[in-house]
Amino acid sequence: MTRLGYTKKMAKPSLLLKQEGGLAVIFATGSWTLGQTEALPALPDVSGGAEIILDGGGIETLDTTGAYRLMSMMDAAGVSPERIKLRGVTPSLLPVWNLVAKNYSQAHGITQKKTFGLLYQFGLGSISMLQHMAGVANFVGRLAMEMFRLAKKPGSFRLREFVAQMEAIFIYAIPISMAMIFLLGLVFAYLMGVQAQKFGANIYVVDGVSAAVLRELSPVIVAILVAGRTGAAITAQLGTMKVNEEIDALSILGLSPFAVLVLPRILALFIALPLLVFLGDLAGLLGGMVVAKTQLGLEYSQYWDRLDSVLKMKTFLAGVSKAPIFAIFIGLIACRMGITVARDARSVGEHTTSTVVQSIVAIIVLNAIFAIVFVHLGI
Amino acid sequence: MSQPVIEINNIVTQLSGNLIHDGVSFSVGRGEVTALIGGSGTGKSVLLKEIIGLIRPQSGSIKLFGEDVWAVNEARLMALRQRFGVLFQDGALFSSLTVEQNVAAPLHEHTTLSPKECLELARLKIALAGLPTSSWEKMPSELSGGMRKRAALARALALDPELLFLDEPTSGLDPISARAFDRLIRLLSDSLGLTVFLVTHDLDTLLSMVNRIIVLARGKVLGQGTVEELVKIDDPWLQDYFSARFVEEHA
Repeated sequence: MTRLGYTKKMAKPSLLLKQEGGLAVIFATGSWTLGQTEALPALPDVSGGAEIILDGGGIETLDTTGAYRLMSMMDAAGVSPERIKLRGVTPSLLPVWNLVAKNYSQAHGITQKKTFGLLYQFGLGSISMLQHMAGVANFVGRLAMEMFRLAKKPGSFRLREFVAQMEAIFIYAIPISMAMIFLLGLVFAYLMGVQAQKFGANIYVVDGVSAAVLRELSPVIVAILVAGRTGAAITAQLGTMKVNEEIDALSILGLSPFAVLVLPRILALFIALPLLVFLGDLAGLLGGMVVAKTQLGLEYSQYWDRLDSVLKMKTFLAGVSKAPIFAIFIGLIACRMGITVARDARSVGEHTTSTVVQSIVAIIVLNAIFAIVFVHLGI
Repeated sequence: MSQPVIEINNIVTQLSGNLIHDGVSFSVGRGEVTALIGGSGTGKSVLLKEIIGLIRPQSGSIKLFGEDVWAVNEARLMALRQRFGVLFQDGALFSSLTVEQNVAAPLHEHTTLSPKECLELARLKIALAGLPTSSWEKMPSELSGGMRKRAALARALALDPELLFLDEPTSGLDPISARAFDRLIRLLSDSLGLTVFLVTHDLDTLLSMVNRIIVLARGKVLGQGTVEELVKIDDPWLQDYFSARFVEEHA
């Protein structure tokens, strides 16, 4: 019994070769079904004669699996199904046999799949990379056209969609981004404080925390958070809309998916991310302040005085100014990946993952470029 | 007469406060091709899901091969499910698997056959469903609607079921493909001795391949029989349903 769970009492299948007046006759008996699939001994080679008689008088039940196995065993012994002469089979089983015999040749013989070498894979990868880049250029171009159209007719801006996106991207992200940067400020101040205490330089922790949080930690971490949270959501939502043909429906209704879906999202990101970074800045400084008081014995007033004297406007601006650029990249990547989803569930998953990975890589690379540029500009 | 394959007794279903079925009873015998029809919202698809064990009715019993679907334990239900195949409305093919992997999946899960044998049997089922060899390695998203239905049919037939459920098998197909699909189902049910239970709106399907029709209306079975028997029933919906067609044919 090989078919799990479902049992029926049936005779085991068997094949026997007998000589009958100089002719080879194969006797098949038992039940030939999916429930009876244990391996049977192979038949001896009988490929010699023109026709081989198969006596199926003993076959009790037959389904397509059984018929197929019977044929492939005969085939292995050198008799293809069209050369089998059937006799004695219960008439009710004949249609199954005939149906399978007709389709046997299509299913039989699994050919080895062609495999391709390294060069082929490399070429394939290069082509898909080029196509990806062309796709990005196309997407950015269409978006630019859409913005141009919007500039000529500002009334057509989708204000309601924009407000809804702001709520999702900005308002609901406030607690998580502030909590994250608060904790990072806390940890950063603590680790710096441990070192600074050795030199009695407690007050300089304020310099370190403010620079680190405002310039690097808050913009980068908040952007990564938004890429994972909002970027993934945008791709999954647009992708599912694509699968449901909602995006096609929009186009048919004379609405541009770019104007209705893409622009409000990118614009909302563009505005929300700097605001989130600003709130992150505040939270990070608060985190540093808590550690300064509890671990380093700095009063809140001392902390704020020091902050007032060392924190320059350009430090804050250097951090916050990165956010809109990050936002544009997150928005472009997320919307493009959403709109290019193929019409199946797997593709939605793949594209969502890809959005998060691409966005985070873009953020880190952009941040490195910013760092170099700022150094050269003396900021 | 042997035991009926499907036996439905006094089904009552209530979904989110709406009474869908109010005592539905009928039975389907072995080897029959039976169609369930009814207007939109009469609970045809819900009934189908109850029969295959996906939605639980409030009361009543549903027996497949003499076993109560909603009274047996999980293991028996799984065993029961291997004895029937289901063709979902849009195919419900697994989008991350190729056509042949889709069809081979139940074989891999429920038999001890070798992967090569599973694949060969899957290809046999694909051939039986009338798909060309070029479709073997295609992804479901690359198939047309008609091909998707055929691939889904091949998967439903993978475990050589005795009973086949079809949810609107011809919806979304052009008339020529729909008739070809009807003929295929009829051929398979005749050759393999399948019992077929289908939900349909397609009058041509009803006229060409169905032995018996069950009409669902207002939560009950309004009537059952052949088209000729059903047109005699005095019900506005049923009269409308058939009249359009008969007027057309007798004009």
